[in-house]
Amino acid sequence: MELLSNLALGFSTATTVSNLFYCFVGVFLGTFIGVLPGVGPLAAVAMLLPVSFYLEPTTALVMLAGVYYGAEYGGSIASILLNIPGTPSSSVTCIDGYPMAQQGRAGVALFATSVASFFGGVFGVVVMVLLAPRLAEFALLFQPAEYFSVMVLGLIAASIVSSSGALRGLMMVCLGILLGTIGVDVNSGEARFTGGMPELRDGVSLVVVAMGLFGISEVMVSLRGATKSYAGQNVRGRDIYPTRAEWRRSFLPALRGASIGSFFGTLPGTGQTVASFVGYALEKKVSPNKAKFGAGAIEGVVVPESANNAAAQTAFIPTLTLGIPGSTTMALMLGALMIHGITPGPRLISDHPDLFWGLVVSFLFGNFFLLVLNIPLIGLWVRLLRVPHYYLYPTVIIMICVGVYGISNSLTDVWATLAFGLIGYVLRLFRFEPAPMLIGFVLGPMMEEFFRRAMLLSRGDPMVFLERPGSAALLAVGALLLCASALPVKRILGRLLRRA
Amino acid sequence: MMRRRDVISQIGPLIMLAAGLAFAFGAIATLELGSFRRMGAGAFPLLVGGILALLAAIGLVQNLRAPMETAKADPVAVLGVVGGVGSFAFFTPMLGVLPAAAIAVFATGAAIPGFRWPMRLALSVGVAIGVWLIFVKGLGMPFVAIRGF
Repeated sequence: MELLSNLALGFSTATTVSNLFYCFVGVFLGTFIGVLPGVGPLAAVAMLLPVSFYLEPTTALVMLAGVYYGAEYGGSIASILLNIPGTPSSSVTCIDGYPMAQQGRAGVALFATSVASFFGGVFGVVVMVLLAPRLAEFALLFQPAEYFSVMVLGLIAASIVSSSGALRGLMMVCLGILLGTIGVDVNSGEARFTGGMPELRDGVSLVVVAMGLFGISEVMVSLRGATKSYAGQNVRGRDIYPTRAEWRRSFLPALRGASIGSFFGTLPGTGQTVASFVGYALEKKVSPNKAKFGAGAIEGVVVPESANNAAAQTAFIPTLTLGIPGSTTMALMLGALMIHGITPGPRLISDHPDLFWGLVVSFLFGNFFLLVLNIPLIGLWVRLLRVPHYYLYPTVIIMICVGVYGISNSLTDVWATLAFGLIGYVLRLFRFEPAPMLIGFVLGPMMEEFFRRAMLLSRGDPMVFLERPGSAALLAVGALLLCASALPVKRILGRLLRRA
Repeated sequence: MMRRRDVISQIGPLIMLAAGLAFAFGAIATLELGSFRRMGAGAFPLLVGGILALLAAIGLVQNLRAPMETAKADPVAVLGVVGGVGSFAFFTPMLGVLPAAAIAVFATGAAIPGFRWPMRLALSVGVAIGVWLIFVKGLGMPFVAIRGF
């Protein structure tokens, strides 16, 4: 009964005109950006973060979430048509999607992608509805030591996925935490590392860091390669429907993909990419049609798509209920919530039920919009890929400048964004990925707060983190993850795929 | 004898070492450290700065054994972006957001090979109109769109 009344609250929040409108805008913009190879969901969410300040918190989150899962869907379009994954998680879709396009069945592959994404998304939402409140209730038992340890675990998970190794990921996490300490210390009122600049008393703005690290430095990396456009094949409306046999063959793979995706989405640091890889490998093992995998099997498109969209939804579970972002995009969502004065964590569901349940229900609408939007618009996305990309990057630069300037009409913020862009670019040259740094930056202040509180409660005994069973277990999992990071994960995933 | 490329690859961990030490020493020199029970403002940055310096030292040793290849810098792309963002920040107070945006697009586009000036000009005007429609009209952001108007 409680679930029904919560869902009713969610429906009444999600169906306001402004929430529906911004949900639509979010998924449309997300798909638009996801279609373009090189601009992923992270850059898309970062660019729209300043716009969200002008909206109500729920509406802002509904829009940003729409951008996020819309971009995940959009990423598969370039995978199928051009064999270029728009997002990392859609790289698996290339394996069978591109051969289908080469056989003149791009429309069927795109249609199957839309339906599988919808199915996976809805499945993920159902899992979220059932799991998130239980997890939040459990997390209410947490004390500062457990909160600190769960954050350590989240940061370790974020650093080990760095492609240049866990050590470099950990360094970036630490650098992010240190950046987060700049500004006035909330406990003592002492200004830290501000260099006497009054602009830094409130700390470095999340938008400035995110836009600099992911927007500006990304454009620096991609700008000079922006000369080409891609010539995808035409897709006609009547060529998009799968046969009845293909429909039948797709249902169980979609279900398996969604289940695997829902599971991996909840684990910090794994997310959609691992979900779609594992889903594909498993399907290749169990499918009666396994011989056709890699040569244009519809199951090979359905599974990764349903898996990554289910994972995109369930990734919100640890973010909203524990305050632990599983990925950098989730860290930005978390930051957006905090900017609006909402503390993510176990109390979020009870303190802001309209926000939580409204967001959950908006996922259903968003996935529905994706379905009805994308089937008729497949031709438009194909044409978009033909637009020369040199129009894109100067426009992105202006979106960033105007967005940052618009927050507080401060040109200092624009210069600071440029500085962070240069820092991000230099770090990339030396193979330091900026993603873990942003997660450290977002979680750092909360982590410090819980660390100091735990030390105060334990009368200065650092053993409290090991003596409390919950905290010790979380730290042990973190240590295990660090050990496991020594394993060559990419090679293992590749071998898993080949063996399957 | 180390090759030049291998020496350059050490710069990354060295930057991290310098950052870790800067925060750690900055915390010791300028902030209250407090006690274990009541930690001061400098305790946490000292701890994390120390960890970063330690990790960077390990990274340096690891990199000496197996140097990680660095990526190739593209100074023209960097100049294009710096020119674009810089012109936006420089011209906004003088001319307003829309002309500054148009100049910034034109400047950034100059770094893209084959993006000729008539097309750049057209994009500049298009983007300025887009900014006006989305940010000024749509979101009602309190900008000076064109100074003097």
